[in-house]
Amino acid sequence: MGSIYALIALGYTLVYGVLRLINFAHSEIFALGIYASAFAIEGWLGVTGTRTGLGLVGTLLALLAISMLVSGGAALLMERVAYRPLRRRNAPRLTALITAIGISLVVQEFLALRYGRSKITPQRLFEKESLFTFLGEEVRNDKVLVFVAAIVLMIGLDQFVRRSRLGRGIRATAQDAETAQLMGINIDRVVMLTFLLGGLLAGAAGFFNLIFFESARFNIGFLPGIKAFTAAVLGGIGNVRGALLGGLLLGVLEKYGAALFGGQWTDVFAFVVLVLVLLVRPSGLLGETLGRARA
Amino acid sequence: MKHSKFLRIGAVVAGLSLVAAACGDDDDAATTDDTNAAPSEEVAEYSIAFVGPLTGDAANLGIFIRDGATAAVEQFNEEHDDIEITLEEFDTQGDPAQAPTVAADYVNDDSILGLVGPAFSGETKAVLPTLEENGLVMVSASATNATLQDTVPGGKSFHRVLADDAAQAEGLVKYLTTDLQPASIAIIHDNSEYGQGLAVQQLATQLAETDIEIVATEAIDPDSEDYSAAVNTVKTANPEAIFFGGYYEEAGTLAKQLKDEGVEATFISADGSLDLGFIESAGDAAEGAQISCPCNLATTNSPGALGEFATAYEEIIGSPPGTYSTEAFDAANILMTGIAEGATDRAALLEYVEGLTDVTYAISKDVVFAETGNIEARGIFLFEVKDGEFAPLVATDDL
Repeated sequence: MGSIYALIALGYTLVYGVLRLINFAHSEIFALGIYASAFAIEGWLGVTGTRTGLGLVGTLLALLAISMLVSGGAALLMERVAYRPLRRRNAPRLTALITAIGISLVVQEFLALRYGRSKITPQRLFEKESLFTFLGEEVRNDKVLVFVAAIVLMIGLDQFVRRSRLGRGIRATAQDAETAQLMGINIDRVVMLTFLLGGLLAGAAGFFNLIFFESARFNIGFLPGIKAFTAAVLGGIGNVRGALLGGLLLGVLEKYGAALFGGQWTDVFAFVVLVLVLLVRPSGLLGETLGRARA
Repeated sequence: MKHSKFLRIGAVVAGLSLVAAACGDDDDAATTDDTNAAPSEEVAEYSIAFVGPLTGDAANLGIFIRDGATAAVEQFNEEHDDIEITLEEFDTQGDPAQAPTVAADYVNDDSILGLVGPAFSGETKAVLPTLEENGLVMVSASATNATLQDTVPGGKSFHRVLADDAAQAEGLVKYLTTDLQPASIAIIHDNSEYGQGLAVQQLATQLAETDIEIVATEAIDPDSEDYSAAVNTVKTANPEAIFFGGYYEEAGTLAKQLKDEGVEATFISADGSLDLGFIESAGDAAEGAQISCPCNLATTNSPGALGEFATAYEEIIGSPPGTYSTEAFDAANILMTGIAEGATDRAALLEYVEGLTDVTYAISKDVVFAETGNIEARGIFLFEVKDGEFAPLVATDDL
């Protein structure tokens, strides 16, 4: 679960780092990814039973791609339709925040009205078995899969932002948008890229969430969205590695909270820890450093 | 409901144009009137109303109730040449806040003599005073709150054809102690008024006085998909049985997550989970789950009248009956039998149902009305998931 939070948290963090905007509609991008893979399983790929071997790998990769593309596309569309016009008019950040909440509601209600308010439960893709025991806990194959895949994606993103030309553009814009523009960076393209990256990762998170829980509901994005936002703040919003750390940490905290105090106290425990951490380190564990130059 | 309003407006418009036409040509108008009036002398037409959710979160439950009543109405109309009953539908979405608005529609429609419904306890509570004021009789197929009969003290309108929530807990305890006899049980609920009320306030309290040990009490959040906290606690506690108080969607997800974690305890839940949606969302993990209900679910292989009803229902509706369909069938039949016996206005039908004690033709269970409108029987029914379907397991009255 922590790795899913981390993937969503990256979307919040990237957009915040570049635009200083908290994109509350990001949770709906995640939900769209879940719905995309749910429909892909039964509709487009026509999966009717559990699969094994190469067929399974192919199906999983195809679903991951579909889910990432749908979410990435939705994020781009959202940026183009709702945020860019606001940016052009130099609207205050508060306006963008309200827009984000509005988009979030629109997407939720759209899913509810189009696909119903009850849960949809797609076909299971592979049997869940416990693989090995680690520290007295049985480790299940789907958990391993999700964890490893998420880590690979996150490392990929981290390297992309740190090493590639486009990544340098993102970092430059985050650091000082005006100077970056003077240096010949196309801000619009950087912003689009940021939304696209966030969307792709949210799509992947949606797909993993579906593999894990095998159900979806119109408001499914809300809770993980809030948690991921928390994770981003916990790690230091605007900081890619912070989001990663924050997400994993939040997942672990929830688990221990539940084990120590019982399931009802999961959220209380996790958020109390968050408040304590922020008291000591107001800018999060790793601070706000997306823009800081790293030689 | 909206349609009927439009129809009515349409009828008024049509009527006006007839009048306008009549002004021009007297003879024609007179002949039209004659042909319209003729059939109503042979067949008496009356309406009863279904009140409950047909859209929204709880629509599944409402639709099964409506279809149970529809099956009853169709059978009745076929057997009676001189009476034609119409089932009018009023969609409340099961929402106590909307119920009074909808109530105004059926209360003011004089052709409606009685209600099958309201479906839920909350909405019933909200409209009972209005029903009482207008002398409109109600027979609910599904409202199980234990205090409903006290909403209007000494009231006459309220009736239901199934036992209340308190009876369900009693029945479950009886089943657990005399039949299943697990040494330990874990209680999980969804924090809803219904789920927590049944699982914690009712069942856990009553179980505390028995030999069955409660080894864990956990709650899940219906808005989340992740029940791993509860699942892990239950796994550690390693009970022989698990009781879940809540609704079928969560029950399905929970059963699946429990099985995936390797928990083998018998999964038991109550009427909120008695829906095919449970089997659908749990998949293989539903197999062997036991679900209780104060209602008697009919399947085509049920014995006697229940089985006949299920077959007839499938023929008329096109799908198998669900939770409360049987009760809705009984509720509609109570109202229609009254109408057939000459109780053809609201006051007479209210008196007829109030005067009923033993409803001999009820198929769901022994329906004997108490003074309050509740039924005397306290027994509940248990069902087991077998081969992806609900199969009757035991009735607590037989234990």
